[in-house]
Amino acid sequence: MQRRQFLAAAGAALLLPAGARAEDGPVRMRDLYNKDLSFSDYAKAMEGRRIAVQGFMAPPLKAESTFFVLTKRPMAVCPFCESEAEWPDDILAVYASRVIDTVPFNVKIVTSGTLELGTYEDPDLGFVSRVRLSNAVYERS
Amino acid sequence: MLKTLLLASVAALVSTAAIAQESLPQESSQWFTDAQAKIKEVMARQPNTKRAKNVILLIADGNGVTTNYATRLWMGQQEGGMGDDFVQPQEAFPYLALAKTYNINAQTPDSAPTAGSMNTGVKQLFNTINVSDKAVFEDCASVKGNELETFAEMVSKDGKSVGVLTTARLTHATPAAVYAKTAARDWEDAVPEGCTAQKDIAAQLVDQMKAGVIDLAMGGGRRHFIDKSITLSEEENTKGKRTDGKNLIDEAKAAGAEYAWNTETFKNLKLDGKTPVLGLFEDSHMKYEADRTDEDEPSLADMTKAAIEYLSKNDKGYYLEIEGGRVDHANHDGNAYRAVTDGAAFSAAVAMADEMTDDEDTLIIVTADHEHSIALNGYCGRGSPILGLCYEVNTATGEGNMKHADTPNLGADNKPYTVIGYLNGAGSVLKEQSDKSYSGSRPDLTDEEAQDKEYLQQALVPMSSETHSGVDVAIYAKGPWSHLFDGTVEQNYIFHVMNQAVHGDGMDAAENGGAMEATPASAN
Repeated sequence: MQRRQFLAAAGAALLLPAGARAEDGPVRMRDLYNKDLSFSDYAKAMEGRRIAVQGFMAPPLKAESTFFVLTKRPMAVCPFCESEAEWPDDILAVYASRVIDTVPFNVKIVTSGTLELGTYEDPDLGFVSRVRLSNAVYERS
Repeated sequence: MLKTLLLASVAALVSTAAIAQESLPQESSQWFTDAQAKIKEVMARQPNTKRAKNVILLIADGNGVTTNYATRLWMGQQEGGMGDDFVQPQEAFPYLALAKTYNINAQTPDSAPTAGSMNTGVKQLFNTINVSDKAVFEDCASVKGNELETFAEMVSKDGKSVGVLTTARLTHATPAAVYAKTAARDWEDAVPEGCTAQKDIAAQLVDQMKAGVIDLAMGGGRRHFIDKSITLSEEENTKGKRTDGKNLIDEAKAAGAEYAWNTETFKNLKLDGKTPVLGLFEDSHMKYEADRTDEDEPSLADMTKAAIEYLSKNDKGYYLEIEGGRVDHANHDGNAYRAVTDGAAFSAAVAMADEMTDDEDTLIIVTADHEHSIALNGYCGRGSPILGLCYEVNTATGEGNMKHADTPNLGADNKPYTVIGYLNGAGSVLKEQSDKSYSGSRPDLTDEEAQDKEYLQQALVPMSSETHSGVDVAIYAKGPWSHLFDGTVEQNYIFHVMNQAVHGDGMDAAENGGAMEATPASAN
């Protein structure tokens, strides 16, 4: 029931003109992906435009950086699940407009930036991303 | 003498009860009649003491009594009920015991030695698999001479086939316990330099397939079977992790195995009961059920169906271990949504195994390796959403409405709380502050937020990953010798029931130099 309600709500939202959702508050990362990890219609419609996305800041890879990874759930590091830290396959790479101040991994944030789609390898970090927010700013939710 | 007196008293009680029931005001209640029917069912039970041709051991990792309860309510509520009265397939099995899950050196167990204890009959050391207590964690040399014999090796000598399924990596702790012996569970694709007493876990699987011990193995973990220089461009661009230059997938294929890596290749498997099968459906773990698509990879029930179809072609029978590997991972994340959705997928695999087999010749055991720090709040009215808020008990039941009141229970902080909580983990309400200290308060919460698939239930101790707990887990069983499950038992007892069911009192396997020699009873 809950899931049906959610799907109905998501479906209805997609019928709105692109951009209207920003006024309704931030989207969730799952709004950008379909279940098979292809980009959603919403993501395709919003490519190149500024959107606000709710999520969590994974522990940054590098100090004094403008880069961080947004995850849909807190990036729990489970020694019994993994022998080393691993990225989920549905992350969002964020390039902030300023050097970031780290937010603890389990504090919800809202990140706003320009949505970029397509594979990109960061020349400094070697980090490969499929979807990004650039010129981003973030705040605690 | 005492026993005779006791039996006489019981007879007297039964006779009194029979008389009293004739005029009991509650006797027309469905609660009463259902329980009477249950009495008849239990009294009619006859132990099955035939030799088991087949043994299926289903383990939902991290699915202790509390997590199983959460899945029960979730499944029942998905069907539109209140949830409490829902019966999962394993909960309808006739025999039940509680297992004590601790490891030799750990009050709180991990999945490697717990699965090892079920596969060898002896408790083992934290983070090790199928080596005796004389071996030492991460000490490769200590493995030599301390390897235990596995149930898979024992039944393989009897001519039975062996299968292992998991939604985690095939090289992960629980599946590895079917075929591997290692001083460290993390040696999935490599051992330390100079280590010669054992191979890495992936290599041990392929060796056991070549040796004819393991006939069918399906799960995740493709990357641990190929060298880091190799990228499988056809297979989701899997990059290898091995450092020995090997491609064990090719080695298995060269040795005659059939290989599947997605739904399409899975559906094309011959399942002829003769050709060894290696299925590796993800780089790492397979997807959570909540994130899985049928087009991408099979469900645990799909794999169970295929495995039984394959293994049952052996007239001498089989041993199949089936792991629902990610109930545990979801609990580690503090995300009850994925714990119960993977729990439901595990239940579907139990139902499939039960449906495809005959109770007369197949022993089915359903258990967990350990529980988590998951806990439940009260006092929730019936039908409170198991993933959502704990609503007040409705006391205005005059018109027969037993469902919870509309108002959620509140803590002393005047905020609602969820039915499920965790004692520790990423959902901690204590957050790291800028001065590195931890403080916080419980956020306000709506039922809709709490039931979201990404929601983490509130937890106490801040940790990057929620922990296991040492509390008992249930063992549900049916089939030959399943009546030996009774009371509170040590987890390694599971092996002994499987061995009794397959080999009988003669303990044929022990005579073959099996692990039975290492049990405390025979060591004394």
